[in-house]
Amino acid sequence: MIYAKNNIMINLEVKLPDTPGSLVELIRPISKNGGNIFGILHFHDKKINDLIPVNITFELSEDIKELSLENIRKELKENNIQIENITYGNEKREITVLITGHVFDTDVLDTIKRLASKEIIISELHAKFTELKEVSNVKLRIKFPENMTKRELIDELRNICKEKQLFLITG
Amino acid sequence: MKVKICLIGKGIVGTSFLQLIKNKQDQFDQKFNLKIIVTSIFEYDGALIKESGINLGEVLDAGTNFRNLPYWKKNVSAKKLISTLDADICIETTPTNPKSGEPGLTHIIEALNNKMDVVSSNKGPFYLEYDKIRNLAAKNNCFVKYEATVASCVPTLGIIENLIGNEILSIKAILNGTNNFILSRMAAEGVDFSLALKEAQELGYAETDPTLDIEGFDAAGKIVILSNDLLGWSKSIHDVKVEGITKITPNAIDLAKSDGFVIKHLAIAEDNKLVVEPRLINRHSPLNISGNLNVIELETKYAGSIILMGRGAGGLEAASALINDLLSIIKHRGFSE
Repeated sequence: MIYAKNNIMINLEVKLPDTPGSLVELIRPISKNGGNIFGILHFHDKKINDLIPVNITFELSEDIKELSLENIRKELKENNIQIENITYGNEKREITVLITGHVFDTDVLDTIKRLASKEIIISELHAKFTELKEVSNVKLRIKFPENMTKRELIDELRNICKEKQLFLITG
Repeated sequence: MKVKICLIGKGIVGTSFLQLIKNKQDQFDQKFNLKIIVTSIFEYDGALIKESGINLGEVLDAGTNFRNLPYWKKNVSAKKLISTLDADICIETTPTNPKSGEPGLTHIIEALNNKMDVVSSNKGPFYLEYDKIRNLAAKNNCFVKYEATVASCVPTLGIIENLIGNEILSIKAILNGTNNFILSRMAAEGVDFSLALKEAQELGYAETDPTLDIEGFDAAGKIVILSNDLLGWSKSIHDVKVEGITKITPNAIDLAKSDGFVIKHLAIAEDNKLVVEPRLINRHSPLNISGNLNVIELETKYAGSIILMGRGAGGLEAASALINDLLSIIKHRGFSE
């Protein structure tokens, strides 16, 4: 993945109504205001009161960031989309890891949030599992900030995986 | 030039060694004016001892009935007899004991204490007591060589002599053919781990008790020896962070594949750390080999990446490495008639 200079990565945590078209209502304001979407995580299994947690990661040019974000916020509010949290980052670096285990049962949203608190963004998550009771296999594409080394990122992942008894395979 | 050797351990590797010595005797004679005389062959319950030299054809023809030969001595042990043996070089090929290194460790120590050079395929002593063995050899002005302990006949340890003008910075390797075979089969056929292991066992690529392989301890021992020899470290197997391959699933392999990765069980020495664990590697990486081969990637300061690859196990493969080491010692010693 090629990053343009002076771009900033943004991760939005929102809650979407479980209705057809709600995802489009989230994506449209971001795209319209210059956001380059890298990934969307949609947690159906965490639905509460008909609202589904969604994480969306996108890139904005630094020089339009403020205006774009203001517009995005305004339009999401008009679309009745509740923003729970926004995290920002500078130029990101990226790795792919695999995690095997009861990834979802051990609160994957918590895992994502903990990583996001250190500016580590999960831009893509792909999961494969055969049966619900079996372990799941998850591939994560992860972006990490410039002030973090790859080793520090992996140590962070290892700590979380050790705590949640998940098996981590890195590159 | 005559060189007397004692062989300790007449298993698959020991027997293959005898076979190669017998097959190559004429070649040694013509090329090097060299005669290898085997004066003793030890097993766990006794030894064949003949100071004038054992007839290797006779021993090999006897097969498992070698204990019926007239010069078989029952209930004698290498540990106790090493100091009395008429031998210049001790070839130690007993099976690896991962916990204590015994009895191989004592055989090696006793041989060195008695000023015998040592050649070994037994990795346990070297990943448990590397410094002790090397220091004792240096103190007694003895050679100790163990190329067969890592990647069998692939000349991995010996390469250091050809890289004196360079500097090895780190090592990444696949050092266990059993695990690589299992992961290759899982990737090729989509079968789960237990089925791939069963196939490996049926083909003789995995032991009945494959624990040391699949849990990563075999590779861990080998990366210790590699890092100590090639990087000048002073590590033991207790310094290795080890993770086996039992938790890898076909779904994980599929997910890796979708991004152009494969999962391989790597042994890594870098930044003064030793790790053995499954890793994602790009499918175009030279480490992406199939089947039960071994591959070693040396990252060097002036030549970039150097790759060594070949069969990492087998009786004749290991025996050929033992013979390389034996000849190397003979060359350095310049034994006389």
